[in-house]
Order: sequence, then C-alpha cells, then structure tokens
Amino acid sequence: MKKLLIILLLAVVGYFLTVSMSNIKFGANRMGDLSQPKTVGAFYLSKTPGELSVANVITAIVVNYRGFDTLGEVSVLFLAATGLGSILYKKKKKGEHIPTVNKPSSALLQAGSKLIFPAILVLGAYVFIHGHLTPGGGFQGGAIIATGFLLMMMSYKDFTMNHSVITWVESLAGITFASIGLIGLIVDHSFLENFLPIGYINDLISGGIIPLIYVAVGFKVAAELSGVLDTLLSIKEK
Amino acid sequence: MVISPVHYIAVPLLAAFLMPLLAKIHRELTRIVPGLVILYLGYVSVVLMNQVMAHGTIVEVIAGWNAPWGINLVYSPFTGFLASMMTAMAFVIWLYSYRFKKVDSQPALKYFILFMMLVTGTIGIVLTGDIFNFFVFLEITAISSYSLTAFYRDRDGAEAAFKYLLIGSFASAFILIAILLLYTQVGTLNMAQIAVRMHDVPTHMKITILILFLVGLGIEAEMFPLNGWAPDAYSQAPSPVGVTFAALVVKAGVYGLIRIIFTLFDVHGAYEYLIVMGAITLVMAELAAIRQKSLKRMLAYSSIGQMGVVMIAFGIGTNEAVFGAIFLMFNHAVIKGLLFMSGSYLVYNTPNKEIQYLSGYGMKMPLISLFFSLGALAIVGLPPFAGFWSKLYILIAAADNQMIGLIALILGVSIVEIVYYFRVVGRLYFGKPSKGSIMQKPTYGGVIAMSLLAIVILVVGFYPDVITPYIHNAADALLDKAQYIHSVLPNADLSQIQNLK
Repeated sequence: MKKLLIILLLAVVGYFLTVSMSNIKFGANRMGDLSQPKTVGAFYLSKTPGELSVANVITAIVVNYRGFDTLGEVSVLFLAATGLGSILYKKKKKGEHIPTVNKPSSALLQAGSKLIFPAILVLGAYVFIHGHLTPGGGFQGGAIIATGFLLMMMSYKDFTMNHSVITWVESLAGITFASIGLIGLIVDHSFLENFLPIGYINDLISGGIIPLIYVAVGFKVAAELSGVLDTLLSIKEK
Repeated sequence: MVISPVHYIAVPLLAAFLMPLLAKIHRELTRIVPGLVILYLGYVSVVLMNQVMAHGTIVEVIAGWNAPWGINLVYSPFTGFLASMMTAMAFVIWLYSYRFKKVDSQPALKYFILFMMLVTGTIGIVLTGDIFNFFVFLEITAISSYSLTAFYRDRDGAEAAFKYLLIGSFASAFILIAILLLYTQVGTLNMAQIAVRMHDVPTHMKITILILFLVGLGIEAEMFPLNGWAPDAYSQAPSPVGVTFAALVVKAGVYGLIRIIFTLFDVHGAYEYLIVMGAITLVMAELAAIRQKSLKRMLAYSSIGQMGVVMIAFGIGTNEAVFGAIFLMFNHAVIKGLLFMSGSYLVYNTPNKEIQYLSGYGMKMPLISLFFSLGALAIVGLPPFAGFWSKLYILIAAADNQMIGLIALILGVSIVEIVYYFRVVGRLYFGKPSKGSIMQKPTYGGVIAMSLLAIVILVVGFYPDVITPYIHNAADALLDKAQYIHSVLPNADLSQIQNLK
C-alpha cells in the first residue's frame, strides 16, 4: 500500500515536470535583440567582450556578474570540508602515520604515477590560470590537481600530505577572494567590483580581477579536495 | 568604509577563512573571534536599522552591476528586522556555546566556523534580492546544519544528520528545479523583476513552479508533512545548535516561503493554502508533542506547532495578522531559545533526555528551573509575558476576518500546549526528588545568555512598545509589493502589480 502510494506520487510529480519541461523551447533563440537586452543572458552576451575584455563569457558570469554566488559556492565547499573534518576527526599521536592503502601497488603504477603527477599539476594550473580565455576555471583546475594527489595517495603507501600546508593554502586563498571583494567595496563602493585595468581581450593578463579570483579559487579547491581525500582515506573500517 | 548590508556576509566569511590560521596563534582565539564578529554585526544592525527607519529601504548593489543584471541585497524594514533579530540571537547562542562542553581544540575550531557560517547563511537568505543567491545561502545553511547535527559523532546523531541530509537534499533539488523553470519563463533571477514579469507566465507553469518552491521551502520551514527531520535533528544536535535551528534556520525557511508567496507570485489561493497547511501542521505537531517522553523532542514538536501558527497568521494576510506573525517569529526565537537552553541543562545527565527523571529538580537547580518555567509560561501566551501579545494580535486579526474556526483551533491547541508544558513544570517543583541524579552546573556564559533572554521576555511583556514600531514597519514593508519593486527597480512598470490582500 505504502509502495503503491509512493509510485503514484512519483508518477504525479514526473508527469507535471515532463509537461512543464516539454513546453520550454530548448535550443531556440530566445535571447532576442542583443543591443537591447531583455533577459540577463542577452545582457551578459552583449556586455562581456566589450566592457570586461573577457573571451570566456561563462567565466565572466561566474566570477564577475555573479561573483557573489561563487564566493558562496566556495564557502559551501569549505564548509563541506570543515564538516567532514569535524565528523571524522581522530586524535592523532605525534608522528603517527596512517597508511592510505593496505596493499602496496605494482611497480608499474608507482613509476607511471610519478611520471604523470607533475603533468597533472601543470594541466590543473593551466586550466585555472586560463579560466578567462578558454573553457575551464578555478573549480575545474582545482579538481584536476586533487586527482593528481589522489593518484599519489593510491600508489604510494607512505605518501603524506602536510596538513599545515593545506590549512595555509586553503585559508590564504579564501582570504584573497574575500579581500579582493572588500577592496572593491572600499575603492569602488561595491563589493567584488572590478578595480583593476581590464586590458585587451585574449591577453593572459586581462579581465581585471577575474584571473586573480580564479587563481585563488583554483588553489582553494585543490587544497580542500585533497584535504577531503586525505581525511577519507585515513579512516579505516573496523 | 561606509557601513552597508554586505558586511553581514563579507565579514563573517573573511573571519571564517582566517580562523584556521588564528587557531595556530592561540587556541582561545577560535572561541573569541566569532563573538567579536557577531558583536560587530550587531553594531552594523543598529546603524542600518536607524537608517532604514529614517530613510526607507537600502538596496546594495554587488560587483557594480545594477539590478536586474547583478546580485543585490535588499535591507528593508522587514528583512532588516529579521537580520537584526538573527544577529542578536546569534550573539546569545555564542555566549551559551562558549565552553558548553569540553572538546579538543580542533573540533572546537570546526564547531565555531560552522556555527558562524550557519548564522551568515540564514542572514544571507533573508537579505538577498536574487533568487539564485537565495539558493546559494540556503546551501550554506544546509551544509553547516548537517555537519553540526552530527557533531557529537554518536549513533543517534549520525542517524539524525543522515535523515536531515537526505530530506534537505530533496529540498535543494526541488528549489533548484523551480529556479530553473522560473528562469526559462522570465529570463531573470532578480526577485523584483520576477515579480514584475510574473504576470505574463502561463498559469499552469506558475502553479508547477510554486508547488516546487513550497515543497522545497516547506522542508526548511518545518511544514507538515515535510518536517520528519526536525525532531531528530533538534534532539540529537548539540544544544546550542538546537537553539540555532529554532531561532535562525526555521525563521529563514519561513521567510523564504513568505517572500515567494507574498512578493514573487500572484497566485490566488496561496494564502488559503498557507492557512490550511499551518492549521494541519499546528494540530499534528501539538498532538505529537503531548505524547513525547523526551524533553527535547517535546520542545521540537512545540516549535513546529508554533511555526504552524506563524503560517496561519501570514495566510490571513491582513496588516494586523502579518504584524502578529512577525511578532510571533520574534517571540518564538527568544522564548524557544530560553526553553532549549534551560531544558538542555535540565536533561544534561538524564537517560534519553526523558521528562520522568526531572522530579524535584526545581529545588536542586533553582535558577535553571526558574528560566524554564518562565519560558513555559511565556510560550503558551499567558500575560504579562511576551508570548501573550503576539497571540493576542493574531487572534484579533482572525476575529476581524470572521475566522471563528481558526480562533477556536488556536485556543483549543493552546490548552494542549498548557497541558504538556505544565506537566514538566509541575514535575520540576512538585515531583518527589529522586536520589543519585547528577546536576550539571551551567557555564557563566550560559547563565548570562539565559538571563538576557529572560530579561527580553519580561521587558517585551510589560512594554511591548519597545519593539512594536519596528514590527509595524516590517509588516508594512512586507505587504507593500509595489514599494519593494520600486526600491530595487526604480524604472519598472508597476501597472500590472496588484496587492492581492
């Protein structure tokens, strides 16, 4: 009876969602005239190349127009890492090391990961440094770097992350983001407002504060995800 | 730097990122800094509230993009009142949680970061004027609530947190889908512009989006039958966190519901829906509360019931009723805060936090029992305490609209309330003291926090005029939709806007 009710409820929800979704004309051009924007999407498309000198419009939306949301999302990640740390907290003895993997991995994996690890770090850094020019950005670059650390943790039994370094990187990156916002508030009377020259489009140094924020986000995401992986791997099932 | 609403968000965020570094300098800093930050926010509240009362709504633009293109914060008499109330309660809760339980310095650091961000998230929900930004702050609130619920890392806490996590994720998903559908229809995320363009949205779409919002926010606002997470989370989380849920998180959820129904949508019947759901929530919660053996679960169900009354009052929708509803939100934050704070000291050492072991505690813990009794008298709405006035205004508003059934319902449920609260108070003072129970001595911070709340209950009870002007302005601001839109978008076409009530 209960299951029948659940199926019925799901069917009703599914029906109404399908009906409303199928009425939306996905893919059709609904932007209208870009010179007189009616929707925010059209406004962002019309303003970004000229007024911000940013080639990647999505980055401009994420970091400039809606930078406040991004600051919020960065803190969501920060909170998730902090919360995980508080729930899985274990008092460690000084100098104690909990191995991340039980069995030593094969020589092939060990040699291969040593070779590929620096390449992963460089790729991650490339993705977040060029966030305003090419697809990608701080979140993606940070996640790539964290996968590099995951690879090392899985292949080497005694690979350790220095927690103090993670804390420093994480905090300094967060402080950078928030301080850039506050400088905008002091200089231009608006939180997170651009206060640097915007330069020329497609240059590496262009877009004002956007690359700075994305580098900070990249470092923060990398440190946080690596920290989360480290916490999770150090928990042993009894 | 000029004081502006964005300080509510930026300063605690900066402090939260700084705290892991400060902890390396001195351990005690992790406990002190959140208090200083909240104290500063209190100063911001005082300055901004004076400005708002004198010059009207403050709209703060973020990143230099004017509405509707960028994100903005709206500090109106209504949102400002709620934000100031939350800041004040956050300070009291900080006092209470300072050294509440002995924990290592690492968990203490994490606790205070999560607590400060929980406060920031709820204040952000109230202040923002952008629907996606609203969702981001809801996420900040939710993530910190989940981890704080499981903070003691025991079996029951983990279960409660997991339950909360599952239901909360549903809420987030529903709200996100609602925002997506809304964006496809109106092409904007600014709440004021959504309200302007809502007129052109087809009705079936409007209803679908509204239902998605109501389900998602109903979970946060503890609306029946979406409140299954609340009793577990309230009773298993550390006591200061339980207080935060009652005083801040639920208030933010109710605010979301109200903002969506009052400002964004112009659907007929949404107000009646609030009344019906509020009444069902009220009856179910109070009937559940009277059956509870555990004190904290009883308080949690009572809290849900009070939110039912708030929803009924908002649903009536007249100026007087909204006044009563906002007044009750304030009273509930203060009184339920006091009840949770004193109640958790009463059941600190009793097995399963059960009421039956509390016999004769009135003599053994005189101060705490006195606080609890004061809270119990105030929450059921006896004069001359604060709870009396809000209940009175709601009943008068219902009477003005010839809603006799509602008056009977609220008064009838009040009797149930009196029964279960006075059962506890009676046991405290007239029960036979049992042997061998260990009393927990409250911390100094805890005593100061509870005394502050008790003073507020008495002062507002005897001189409600200290607070009513602010609440009157808040009610006017909430009901005047055209004014809200005009302050955010000065050039908007207001001809289609009508106040339904």
